[in-house]
Amino acid sequence: MARAVLDTAVAAETPEGILLELRPAGIAARFYALLIDWFIRLMIAYAAAIVGVFMGGFGTGFWLLLLFLLEWFYPVVFELGRSGATPGKSVVGLKVVMDDGLPVTPAASFTRNLLRVADFLPFAFGAAIVSMLLRSDAKRLGDLAAGTLVVHQPQRPPRWKLDDVAPVTPVLPLGPSDQAAIVALAARAPTLTGERLDELAALAASVSGDAGRSGASVTRRVLGVAQWAMGKRA
Amino acid sequence: MTPLDFEARYDAEWRELEGLLDRVLKRTKPKAPKEPLRGERIAALYRRACEHLALARARSYPAYLVDRLDRLTADAHQVIYQQRDVGMAALWRIASRDFPRAVRADAAYVWIATALLVLPTAVFAALAYSSPTLILSVVDAATVAQFEQMYSRSGDAIGRTRDAGGDWTMFGFYIRNNVGIAFQCFASGLAAGLGSIFFLVYNGVLFGAIAGYLTERGLGGTFYSFVVTHGAFELTAIALSGAAGLKLGHSLLAPKRRTRAQSLVQAARESVVIVYGVTAMLVVAAAVEAFWSSAAWIPEGVKYGVAAVCWLLVFAYLCLQGRHAT
Repeated sequence: MARAVLDTAVAAETPEGILLELRPAGIAARFYALLIDWFIRLMIAYAAAIVGVFMGGFGTGFWLLLLFLLEWFYPVVFELGRSGATPGKSVVGLKVVMDDGLPVTPAASFTRNLLRVADFLPFAFGAAIVSMLLRSDAKRLGDLAAGTLVVHQPQRPPRWKLDDVAPVTPVLPLGPSDQAAIVALAARAPTLTGERLDELAALAASVSGDAGRSGASVTRRVLGVAQWAMGKRA
Repeated sequence: MTPLDFEARYDAEWRELEGLLDRVLKRTKPKAPKEPLRGERIAALYRRACEHLALARARSYPAYLVDRLDRLTADAHQVIYQQRDVGMAALWRIASRDFPRAVRADAAYVWIATALLVLPTAVFAALAYSSPTLILSVVDAATVAQFEQMYSRSGDAIGRTRDAGGDWTMFGFYIRNNVGIAFQCFASGLAAGLGSIFFLVYNGVLFGAIAGYLTERGLGGTFYSFVVTHGAFELTAIALSGAAGLKLGHSLLAPKRRTRAQSLVQAARESVVIVYGVTAMLVVAAAVEAFWSSAAWIPEGVKYGVAAVCWLLVFAYLCLQGRHAT
């Protein structure tokens, strides 16, 4: 499959025999998540310091304990929560899962966050950056050892909005893969700009007998063929 | 069957599953009390959705339909195969069985790590005792002065007479500092074990040099009575975390009949159990260090007695606990 070469998606097979598509998150998305988490931790530590000042020695001890917990256990606690993501990761739309797509286990979460130290070496997350850039699944060393993946949370796909397009019977016999391609184009229509949609529809214009032409009306007729392929009849 | 027929026929099932998952994952606020959640219904609907997804993929149904089923099955998969083993029972299993067993299973690494910690300690203790100026090549003069003041017999020495708040401050400090060192000692083992070796030897040299120097200055009594009790937990824990780090490094260098990645995952899974135990030991060590070791009113004899019991307990625990299947 040519698609498998370019795509970074990882397929995890479930016991039911279906393949779950996991989309590993790249270095940029994870960097933003890290920044947000750092900021949140800084704010918590800062707020606790203000409170701690009024509590004397006990307050200082409590603050140091809190720093320790923030440093090492902040990610673990959130990753084991329902969303499987720290607040930073949630904002960016990432989550941590095991290699097989299952929710992250306590041991794995602890391991990957402990090994952040090794990822930091030799300086400024050098090891993590090299590892993430070299691997198509963008794992850092901690992920490698823990057997975890950081993936994009699946987005709810845009609704199919072709109800107002009249079905058009194709002028050519269309095989299953041709039909699928036309329908896939129509399904992507809501996410494309009008011009780009026209461009793409022009490539497929022969199915509605408009070969060589392009424009909004041609696009409408190609989408009509998609309606036809979906099972609508005039 | 066209995609629209397919969707129309099974949409009710998918909606029901979506609704149930929303309730499990608490994505929607429950408005009215509904009937109780039935796990077997979720499982049945999940298996149906898996079939539908396989069909939709095989028939090249439009992307939005496959995406919807993809998302639905992925969510249900997460809910159905969730592991929740973070309870008290799991902690008890680790403490009563898994941790000491993991230590014994990796005895070779533990001995090597112990040697890497103890030998530099002994060598530098002897060197610093015979030529006290050597301490200045290990730590700077201000630190030396601070240590001397800490363990001097004068009443106002730091760490000897302080209020309860001071004890808590030091507790927080010891936890952050010592557990941090142990975690670094473990994690840096990923660099082919070099990081663990460095931290073990470095801490050995530091401890040895200071011990030798303070003994030579005649402050040995206060120093040893201070460190001996919590040392039972702390020194052991540092050695164990180093051992876990060495195991990680070794798994990369000599993966045996696995790929390096598989070997690393396996080693990490086994050695992280040791790190759980190390964390607990260091919390105990910090509590002892902050509230017992520094208590000036306890006679030194009592401290040595308690320390002997602690060392015995730690070794007995690591050597004997959890030998029998339970």
